[in-house]
Amino acid sequence: MAHGSPMHKLYKSIIEDVIEGLWELFAEEGVEEQVLKDLKQLWETKVMQSKATEGFFRHSHPCPQLTLQLPHNFQHVLQASAASLVIPAGRGFPHFMTPDLGALPVDATLTLPSTITYPVHVPAGVTLQTASGQLYKVNVPIVVTQASGDPSTLHQPVQQIFHPAGQPPVLQASVAQVNASSAQAAAETLHAQETAAQQTIVNQPNVVEKNHHENSVNTTFVQQPSVCQQQLATSTVFNQHADSTETPHQGNLHTAVFTPESPEGFSPPESLASNSSSVLLDVEGVIDIEPLESVQQQVSDDIIDLIIMGKSMEENTVHKDQDSTATSNKMEPTEQMESNLQSEKGFCRDIEDIIQLDGTGDVSPKEEIPHTEEDKEENEFIGIIESEDLKVLEDEEDDEECDSISNTESSSSGGVKEDPQIDIVEEDPLNSGDDVSEQDAPDLFDTDNVIVCQYDKIHRSKNKWKFYLKDGVMSFQGKDHVFAKAIGDAEW
Amino acid sequence: MDADSDVALDILITNVVCVFKTRCHLNLRKIALEGANVIYKRDVGKVLMKLRKPRITATIWSSGKVICTGATSEEEAKFGARRLARSLQKLGFQVIFTDFKVVNVLAVCNMPFEIRLPEFTKNNRPHASYEPELHPAVCYRIKTLRATLQIFSTGSITVTGPNVKAVASAVEQIYPFVFESRK
Repeated sequence: MAHGSPMHKLYKSIIEDVIEGLWELFAEEGVEEQVLKDLKQLWETKVMQSKATEGFFRHSHPCPQLTLQLPHNFQHVLQASAASLVIPAGRGFPHFMTPDLGALPVDATLTLPSTITYPVHVPAGVTLQTASGQLYKVNVPIVVTQASGDPSTLHQPVQQIFHPAGQPPVLQASVAQVNASSAQAAAETLHAQETAAQQTIVNQPNVVEKNHHENSVNTTFVQQPSVCQQQLATSTVFNQHADSTETPHQGNLHTAVFTPESPEGFSPPESLASNSSSVLLDVEGVIDIEPLESVQQQVSDDIIDLIIMGKSMEENTVHKDQDSTATSNKMEPTEQMESNLQSEKGFCRDIEDIIQLDGTGDVSPKEEIPHTEEDKEENEFIGIIESEDLKVLEDEEDDEECDSISNTESSSSGGVKEDPQIDIVEEDPLNSGDDVSEQDAPDLFDTDNVIVCQYDKIHRSKNKWKFYLKDGVMSFQGKDHVFAKAIGDAEW
Repeated sequence: MDADSDVALDILITNVVCVFKTRCHLNLRKIALEGANVIYKRDVGKVLMKLRKPRITATIWSSGKVICTGATSEEEAKFGARRLARSLQKLGFQVIFTDFKVVNVLAVCNMPFEIRLPEFTKNNRPHASYEPELHPAVCYRIKTLRATLQIFSTGSITVTGPNVKAVASAVEQIYPFVFESRK
């Protein structure tokens, strides 16, 4: 990428960081990856258009992330790329053996060069390194394709159970969605699978167990028929320590989630809907049920409820599964819960807690504000309001009411020790405040030059101000500048 | 000892301090965030609001009491105080402009002559107090007017009193005594 100045290098890195951080979060929540992509595009476009920096380079390559899917599946590649690229087996990295929750985020994203076309076949034994530096070993040949934006698939690792028979339709990507519902779904799908018998499950008992695990981790897919088919996220290979435990007949530790409906039934529209750019690499990790469950609950709020099918089934199975999940937690090592899930959730929540005070949320200081409503709104809006301030505000409103009731003359008799005359005289005039005020040049501040920074010291003598600022960014005459230290003088 | 009652002296009022009440609780934080030209002193629980037009600085408490300083005349002080109350009203508080009172007026006056302070002090025993090691001026209090004058050897006199009238009277009163002890 071409960088003209440190400014857009900075902005670029900021955008990357934010998007990357949100990636997993979005995945868990079931929001389409495409949304995130769009956000990124919009952001970059906006920065470019604002011309705040010079020569901002825009990301041209569509999707940095890949969703690895099992090869069988894939005829439903969303983005029909004809060419397939084989990843050279040259990249050797140690693969993770330990079920370290923190080690592998559930949906790690793998960045392939933008020139790569999908689908990508990754032969077994290849270890891949994700953008974040995580290393994953591919145990099973996988095909990386561009997944649809289907939220269900965005979730965490898709785990699939291969039946040795390897029926093509078997592959179902199970989107790991840490979610109670997902757990349900898993259970449900499990049931569905059993009942529907469309696809063979490797071992039902295994599956069940896996589902348990999966409940914590990834199960959501079932819920959406679409999920299964298209996304196929991957049963990645990233089994971390699972490798050891995996048995060949189980294929990958992942339990395949089969939607009760026919696989083909899945709506291609869904898959097509997402535009290709979202590809998720799901990583399996060891599940830690407890964090998972906690995460699940946290996530459940945010995650789109994708349960489409067999809700009733879910309910029945859910409880059972959840119970069993806890117990059978450790059994199947293969699954990995997103270790990052919690942190991501926390992150997501942190974001939610930070209320934007500028931009569209800006409040002009000179606006006439109707009293009570505005106060209340602002109380919520501003975020942290000290309780006493809040009380004060309420008290104030009470006082006002009292004042309005016992206004004017009565106040003078209300025990004012000073000259009562003063009260009487003073009180009404202010209301004819039209004469009085009118601040001079009220809106001197409609300037676009803004500085956002931290301060070391702000000093004033009479009307002379001195500013010692640090770590800031300023927008001056349309251009953005970043500084580590700034000193200023001003007269008021 | 020409005690000229008509003192054609220029009395310069340098500062008028007044107070008023808004009769309503004020949310300092809101004022600090939304008001223009405000300084929030959170540690002491005050908000300073400065006005340009009558150049005044107002100290606002959450109780609704406001102290207004920096005006150069009583009328200006009142004018500025009302303007301030108006701006508070605009911020959304139900402000009622009550209990306006000028509490202090500070004026400066210059005598065309210099003064012998020790002599002056001796002649004006009860009212004048002079401690040259502490302060170079004689502190003369007029109880009836509740005014205090600081008389310097250069002839400059600083008067503080409850209102402008008192200040003017104080200067008039002191003139003969000071004239006595002039150099």
